[in-house]
Amino acid sequence: MQLEEKQKLRDFLADALVKHGDRNPLADGDLLFTSGRLDSFSTMNLVMFLEESFGIDFSDFEFDVGVIDSVDLIATFVDARR
Amino acid sequence: MSAASTLPPPGQTTPRRTLRSWLAIDERAAVVAFAQTTVGRALIFTIGLLAVSRYFDAWATLLAVSAALAAAYLPKYRNPVLFAATWLATLIETATSGNDFAEHIGLVIAQEGLAELSAVGLAIGSLLLVLAGIHHLLRYVRQHPKSLIARRPVITLLALEALLCGLSLLDIMQGLPRVLVWSLLVVVTPFIWFLPYAIIDQRAAAGQPLLLQMAALRPFWSPTYLPFGKGAAFLQKFLAKTTDDLAVTQLKGIKLLVWSNLLLALKAGLGWLLVGRLGTPTVAETVDTFLQGQPYPLLTSWTALAWSTAYFALQIAIWAHLFIGLARLAGYRLPRGSWRPLESRTLMDYFNRFHYYFKELLVDFFFIPTFFKTFRQHPRLRMFFATFMAAAVGNALWHFVRDIGLIARVGMAAALQTYISYLFYCVVLATGVGLSQIRAGQGIRPPDTLTGRLYSFIFVWSFVVCLHLFSDGSRQHSLGERLSFLASLFGVI
Repeated sequence: MQLEEKQKLRDFLADALVKHGDRNPLADGDLLFTSGRLDSFSTMNLVMFLEESFGIDFSDFEFDVGVIDSVDLIATFVDARR
Repeated sequence: MSAASTLPPPGQTTPRRTLRSWLAIDERAAVVAFAQTTVGRALIFTIGLLAVSRYFDAWATLLAVSAALAAAYLPKYRNPVLFAATWLATLIETATSGNDFAEHIGLVIAQEGLAELSAVGLAIGSLLLVLAGIHHLLRYVRQHPKSLIARRPVITLLALEALLCGLSLLDIMQGLPRVLVWSLLVVVTPFIWFLPYAIIDQRAAAGQPLLLQMAALRPFWSPTYLPFGKGAAFLQKFLAKTTDDLAVTQLKGIKLLVWSNLLLALKAGLGWLLVGRLGTPTVAETVDTFLQGQPYPLLTSWTALAWSTAYFALQIAIWAHLFIGLARLAGYRLPRGSWRPLESRTLMDYFNRFHYYFKELLVDFFFIPTFFKTFRQHPRLRMFFATFMAAAVGNALWHFVRDIGLIARVGMAAALQTYISYLFYCVVLATGVGLSQIRAGQGIRPPDTLTGRLYSFIFVWSFVVCLHLFSDGSRQHSLGERLSFLASLFGVI
């Protein structure tokens, strides 16, 4: 994932966190969903964002939130899937 | 109002902040260290016993708190302790006369005129059968991760439930066969929503140990139909990793248990004031008098509806805090089951805060599967439809399955007929939550000002109070009667 793409992802996640009242800083390794910072509905918003922004197809994939649980994990996942 | 103007003068803190700081015992190093000493642990045990004893029988209280702390302090034996406590509690509860299983089975025994049968005996036998069946099922899923039940656990289990229910209603199933099928049905039903979590985890390459999977099926800290703490995989994610972390988790658990007791006292106090002193009727009574042409004054009717909603909300919070508090004593730092619902800014927010684990179940088993399969080219419709499948279809199914015992009491036709009002509730709730979700996706949110918060509170809770009329669970009045009564509250009729 390129630097500007990663920044776009960070911005999206920071916005999602703010919407949840979470204004704490987000490091690339911080867990988002299993830590409870974001909820299941946010997962789906993230999925839509990844579909639209990076052309990821989730339909042939047994979804596991663990693969998109941090900025770093998402970057790895996106690189592997596209 | 600028952010700066809301800050207190230097050196001065608001009373709210002081109270919060005072209550944050889990953030004080000295308290965390004390919680790890023998005296500290004894104190946690004692407070835990006192807090839980308000809800459970003496034996269940002792078992739950002791098992939670044993699991926390003996990590090497955690899984066997949890397994033994969960199934021992279930067996003892089942062997005690007057439990739900025995009551439902006893009803069918009486209907079939088989008084020589023991309802408790059948319940225990069915429970042991279910235990063995679940064990084999989970092993099967581990060996066959591509099987139908491994890939579609919810649909398969609901089909099994429907099959057992249908069998029990067949004319040819009279006498002993009906009693046996019914016994199995009522005993397996409480596990129906726990099993999918265990199955999904079992089919994963890095699944949790089978003993923990079995322990997380109606665990001793939440012997209900709803998986508080989901399944073993979710529990493992929240397990305290260090002794400091464990102490903090347990202190958070104690706080939640105490908070649960305070809410219980609040509920009793409000009940004493509104019902005992002011004579506020139940919602069913207000509808009855309305239908008889002698309605209560509007203020009384609105008070009855608001009190019923508040009672329900308090009940959800009280039990959620009890269950999660106990799980935290066992070392699982689980998210709260109900988190400041009065601060909900939108309907979506309310749905998320009010009953977290119910919402998670609906999302996991209805929202996500729908979301990945339908309307992929239409983002708003996709989100709305998935939300609808969760908040309407999943919600309705869960409650109908929970009340499966009613079928033996009133028959399938009456059980469905009296459920129409709740179906209406589900559809309206889902529509509201779905629209709220779409608005949130577009970035539309109430302003973060005092006025905005007040507007949110009034909007969300007016909606919740009005809708509560259709979900009060009494099943005494038809949808039309409730709609007429609601119209009368607004002076339309």
